Amino acid sequence: MSSFSLNLAWRLFKHETRRGELTIILLAIVLAVSSVLSLSLFSERLQSALSTKSAEFIAADRVLSARKPVADAWLEQAQTLELDTAQQVRTRSMVFAKQHMLLAELCAAGPGYPLKGQLKVSDQAFSEGLPTSELPGPGEAWVESRLMQSLALNIGDSLDVGDAAFTVTKVLVSVPDAGFSVFAGDPKVLIPLSGLPATNLTGPGSRVSYSYYFVGDTSVLDEYYTWLRPQLDREIHDWNSVDDDDSPLGRSVQRAEQYFLLASLLAIVLAAVSIAVAAQRYSQRHYDPVAIMKTLGATGRQVKQVYVLQILFISTLGILIGGLIGFLLQQAVVWALAGQLDVSMDAWHWRPVFIAIFTGAVCAFLFSLYPLLKLFSVSPLRVLRRDLGANLSSRAIQFIASGGAIFLLMWAYSQNLQISAILFVSGILLVLALLLVTFGLIWLGRRLGQGKMGAWRLAWARIHRRALDNSVQLISFAITIMLLLVVLVMRNDMVKQWQDQLPQGTPNYFLINISQEQMPNLAEHFNQADVSLDKFYPVVRGRFVAINGEKIRTDISKEEESAGDAGRQGLGREANLTWNTQLQIGSKIVAGRWFDENTSASEEQMPFEVSVEERLAQRLGINLDDTLTFNIGSEVVRVKVTSLRDVNWQSMQPNFFFVIEPRAMAQFVPTYMSSFYLPIDDKPKLTELLQPFASVTLFDVDAQINQLRSIVEQVSVAVEFILVLVLIAGSLVLVAQVQASMDERQQELAILRTLGAKGSLIRWSVICEFVIIGMTAGLMAATFNELSLYLLQTEVFSMQATVHGQFFIIAPISGAIVVACLGGISCWRLLRLNTSHLLRQMV
Amino acid sequence: MTPEKMIVANGISKTVSTAQGQLQILQPISFNVSVGESVAIVGASGSGKSTLLSLLAGLDEVTSGEIFLNGQAMHAMNEEQRAQLRGANVGFIFQSFMLVQSLSAIENIMLPAEIAGTANAKQRALDLLKLVGLDHRASHYPNQLSGGEQQRVAIARAFITQPKVLFADEPTGNLDAANSGKIEQLLFELNRDANTTLILVTHDQELAAKCQRQLHMHAGELTETAELSSIKHALNATQKRG
Ligand SMILES: Nc1ncnc2c1ncn2[C@@H]1O[C@H](COP(=O)(O)OP(=O)(O)O)[C@@H](O)[C@H]1O
Ligand SMILES: [Mg+2]
Repeated sequence: MSSFSLNLAWRLFKHETRRGELTIILLAIVLAVSSVLSLSLFSERLQSALSTKSAEFIAADRVLSARKPVADAWLEQAQTLELDTAQQVRTRSMVFAKQHMLLAELCAAGPGYPLKGQLKVSDQAFSEGLPTSELPGPGEAWVESRLMQSLALNIGDSLDVGDAAFTVTKVLVSVPDAGFSVFAGDPKVLIPLSGLPATNLTGPGSRVSYSYYFVGDTSVLDEYYTWLRPQLDREIHDWNSVDDDDSPLGRSVQRAEQYFLLASLLAIVLAAVSIAVAAQRYSQRHYDPVAIMKTLGATGRQVKQVYVLQILFISTLGILIGGLIGFLLQQAVVWALAGQLDVSMDAWHWRPVFIAIFTGAVCAFLFSLYPLLKLFSVSPLRVLRRDLGANLSSRAIQFIASGGAIFLLMWAYSQNLQISAILFVSGILLVLALLLVTFGLIWLGRRLGQGKMGAWRLAWARIHRRALDNSVQLISFAITIMLLLVVLVMRNDMVKQWQDQLPQGTPNYFLINISQEQMPNLAEHFNQADVSLDKFYPVVRGRFVAINGEKIRTDISKEEESAGDAGRQGLGREANLTWNTQLQIGSKIVAGRWFDENTSASEEQMPFEVSVEERLAQRLGINLDDTLTFNIGSEVVRVKVTSLRDVNWQSMQPNFFFVIEPRAMAQFVPTYMSSFYLPIDDKPKLTELLQPFASVTLFDVDAQINQLRSIVEQVSVAVEFILVLVLIAGSLVLVAQVQASMDERQQELAILRTLGAKGSLIRWSVICEFVIIGMTAGLMAATFNELSLYLLQTEVFSMQATVHGQFFIIAPISGAIVVACLGGISCWRLLRLNTSHLLRQMV
Repeated sequence: MTPEKMIVANGISKTVSTAQGQLQILQPISFNVSVGESVAIVGASGSGKSTLLSLLAGLDEVTSGEIFLNGQAMHAMNEEQRAQLRGANVGFIFQSFMLVQSLSAIENIMLPAEIAGTANAKQRALDLLKLVGLDHRASHYPNQLSGGEQQRVAIARAFITQPKVLFADEPTGNLDAANSGKIEQLLFELNRDANTTLILVTHDQELAAKCQRQLHMHAGELTETAELSSIKHALNATQKRG
């Protein structure tokens, strides 16, 4: 590298930076780097905060569930790798107090449990709990409100569990890993692990589940799992991580992550567009210096070095400034959110920093490649023939180069081919359609412009004259507006659908075990208390025993241990069976068909029909037309699978694995279940409400609902901030585009001015031109917004696609207003400069 | 060994392709320019003067014919080789000055020397700047200078590499009478002092008359009026002396 190139490049860079020549390209790089850094650092921090949060829902980063105790070596290995571990043993057992007894879920927790999240306890049943970091001491038990109620227990009472006695010292309000299922099972009794042997409940034949909890770095956890996996037995062991989390929370977080990714991708595209715009302008401004240098004897190599070095300097500066701004922006958002989100976002991540630098560099070089190639091809002859431009003229190269670069960046960044392809393809379609529309407009404009006076005519004339330039400009406006729309609408739809899942008044209490005789009284009682009850669902408990006559493992049977793995995998506990003629709200048939209501009851045909929840069917290997056998009381009922249902477990409504045709159940006496909503302030009413119905069991899911709702709110707030960031990025791109295009108009405006055109005429004609461009861009953006949203929502976010008619009006109008205002402002600035100054700048 | 002839043109012509097809903008032309000679190319606008200049200076390729500059066969060179030849032998002055807007006056003057890798470019540039009377404006940018001042900077830039031949395309075309006079004077002075060969394109007969030879361009064809012009030249000289 010659010292000439370095000197000259540095000198040009210094002077041009000082004189503001590089402002736009620098701004574009700064924009790219700062938006990518702030978005991805913020989203990475938020993601890790949220996954910490969701780790709380399994009480660890990874959980190994087993039906037998695992070898000590497994835990030793985890400790060798310096993973934190804890364990819990669970079994179902009758517990006794004051001559009452009840089936309970006995949880014996070892030291350290829960590794993530907190236990909440209180001193009173059905009251709000406070977090604690302790576990029950030796001889102590913490029990859930339901059990307190059913056994009429008080703090300090004694509770018999198996062969041991415990003192109830606290009401257990919640455990982090309880799950969101409404019927999480029997009420819990939490005792220390050291107290378990004395109960003698874990002997042979008892059904015990062992959970081992692990916390540590993802890489170490993965290393451990790699070591562990060959030793696992699918029938006995189950390895769980937060990512497999299919809870409503898990889905919300996943969707939010995808949204962040989408927003960052769009930010990259926005930045890339602005760099392309700026580089084009930069290149054109350097045609003369290149021609001069070549004339004065500079070789092609020297010219290339000078400009590549220049780009290097510019991108270095841009990356530095952008990095700083991006970091501060992101930090500001984190600070602003700190009050609203109860997650800590202090974790530092290097990945976003690398991505931002990489993006800045790739954008700076790839998007300036074509303009630079054009620049290099400028002939020295330009010093004599001023109108001579670059020798390279194929726009196709530009489209292919920058299109390919955008796609590669998106793909490399998202590592999600689908999301990238969807955005990219709709982008291409947009570009093609816009080209068509532009030329159509220009054709139309020629007619409209004729005979009209003043500003409009000038505007149309200008649009017509620079057809290609205008089409490029129109395309970049439309893309910017479309991307903003996508981010905006996506956020609205997503947040709305989250909120729809848990509308105000979602039942937060469930009643089960309502007998047929109690039902009218209960309804009447609640009615008087002004609490509205949902519909009553009949429930019959049954044991699921066979598929197509093949016996399945019923976990409670004694033979299980000796029979080994012979039987098919079963459900593990009694199932709640319901019957219904109508499909529940939020469920949909995915295979087969719902019961035919017209089948007359008199037709005595066995087997009756059953509808099975889809994922359970998958887990147990149940197919359409299989015959399932249930033991209900002493009866055996055989039913044929006629449909599989997708159940929305997020709906917090009573949901069932099996729904049986009403005819089949006619002979059984069901109990009923129902649900109701009670505001938190009315909680004291509960006792009075339920007092007359002692045998009815109350489930309190208020805590779960609140937890869910708060997560959804937090994620929504985060999404909101991301939206604001992208909006800012997009607006900056619009400004850059308008400025660059004003640049191109400068000469023409100067000439018009010189020829004596009034300032107001020029300004209005420019504003009219931008109104036309902004409106068209907005309309096109709204159209293609629908297309990409449809694809994104159905293919990537698995949500229901929606149509947004309002944007067909909003987008063109706001596009026209915003673009015209920006154009008007920069035109006004231009017109303030005097004509000779303008003309001199042009040379 | 310096050749006798600085420029030898043997039947050079130029054809360009336009939307309407091939267009010959320069008919075959042959002539020589001796070392140290000053030659004016005159003709109406559009007659092909700049085209001829671009071929003589190696800014463009000839369509046919041979052209030697300082004994080197330029018609056989590619753009890179011609660039090096230009850098080593040629200086330029243009109607629109052609200064790099983002470089200061002194930096513009240094530019050709730096491209060629000459040592002590800065000192030479300062000397030249003094010579053209702009030493107090060294750090000014082109847009801070008047047209006449810009052209003086351009002249200083043209001489920094001590070129053997100087090409000037309408050097006073963008200037008023007073400035034109100053520029002409400076140009011929420096030229005489350095014994540079000068090819000057102009439509100004008076300026052309100051050169030893005049070539007339008319619709891409060249006619020489050497005798007439040398008489005029002699006449001018005696008038000035008297
Ligand atoms: N690349 C080109 N394509 C078409 N016509 C050209 C081209 N270059 C020059 N011409 C034409 O050739 C003629 C001579 O141009 P030029 O040498 O610039 O004339 P002058 O310098 O005498 O005014 C002009 O008519 C010009 O339009
Ligand atoms: Mg000319």
